[in-house]
Amino acid sequence: MSPNPINDRLEHMAQSIAERVARLVVDSIDLNAIMEHIDVDRLVSRVDADAIVDRVDVEKIIDRVDVEKIVERVDVEKIVERVDVDKLLERVDVNALVERVDVRRIVDQLDIESLVAQTELGSIIFKSTSSVAAEALDVIRAQGVGLDDFFARWTNRILRRNPESLPLGPPALVSPAPEEVPALLASPAPGDGQ
Amino acid sequence: MITPPPSTLYEGRQGHYAGAITRLVAFGADVGASWGLYTLGLGAVSVTVALATGRTFSVGRNQVPTLIVLVVWEFAYFAYQWALSGKTIGMAVLGIQVVSADGKPMTPRQAVLRTLALPLSVAIIGLGFLGILVQRERRALHDLVAGTAVVYAWDARAARLRWLARQAPVASEGEGKGGGASVLG
Repeated sequence: MSPNPINDRLEHMAQSIAERVARLVVDSIDLNAIMEHIDVDRLVSRVDADAIVDRVDVEKIIDRVDVEKIVERVDVEKIVERVDVDKLLERVDVNALVERVDVRRIVDQLDIESLVAQTELGSIIFKSTSSVAAEALDVIRAQGVGLDDFFARWTNRILRRNPESLPLGPPALVSPAPEEVPALLASPAPGDGQ
Repeated sequence: MITPPPSTLYEGRQGHYAGAITRLVAFGADVGASWGLYTLGLGAVSVTVALATGRTFSVGRNQVPTLIVLVVWEFAYFAYQWALSGKTIGMAVLGIQVVSADGKPMTPRQAVLRTLALPLSVAIIGLGFLGILVQRERRALHDLVAGTAVVYAWDARAARLRWLARQAPVASEGEGKGGGASVLG
């Protein structure tokens, strides 16, 4: 309870009058008319946007953004469809891109041994090296056959023998079709327990 | 660029009697391989004896045992490989194989007989090998004793195709420069 009831009443009356006056003033203001008088561009030019941005806590805003939800709503397929890949590739400087790639670093990170062991790379390397060995063998064998023919020719000439009369090979290997010979040579010998 | 041997050398000869030079080179390779392995084994025995007993192993003082081991080793080297596959290391390299005289695979008995008869061919100043040149079926003395013959076992035609396949890209490049045809001859 206030010690002076007259003061209280006067204060209450003054507040009521003030509220009434404020309402009358607000009602009488034509905001549109005022807005027409305001030069917004001039107002904006006087605003220090940098100072405002400096005061904004961007990290806090980002934390509040639900990126997952945004991504879910993005239709990637539709975006990809609209991308002109050819035009994009035309603008890519592949040479500059390759120059920036640290190939040595990539190679260092590769587990070559497991790559060779677990992929077909191993068999490709094996095949390439074995083909070199096979080539060497083929050459040696072909040279041998050439010399065999040379000596056989001279022997037949000395012995006055007609080469046509000589058998080419054992009957079991010469009579069958040539494609059957490898199988015959590889087949197990009779009585060797196989 | 290596010029290949004439294509006639790559005719299918699988199963045909093998000639003298191929057989001689294969035999030489086998003698080298068996001697090499024997020497290695002898060296290993020497080191083991020296380490175990502290005494050095001298071949000169152990001529008879080392000779016996050599004979047994040479017998095992040839007989085992012939009985197993009809070819020794040298024969496999040169692409030839021992078969029965009729062309069927050689039996272990024939392999043993051939191995025992092989020294006979070598002993008579190598005259036993003359049969490879003069005999109609190119059979040496030990072949006649064991009833065997030696034939080419490598696929010469496939070798020719392999060679062509390897040369194909090079040949097409060379054709552009006017030099491909001579390579393929």
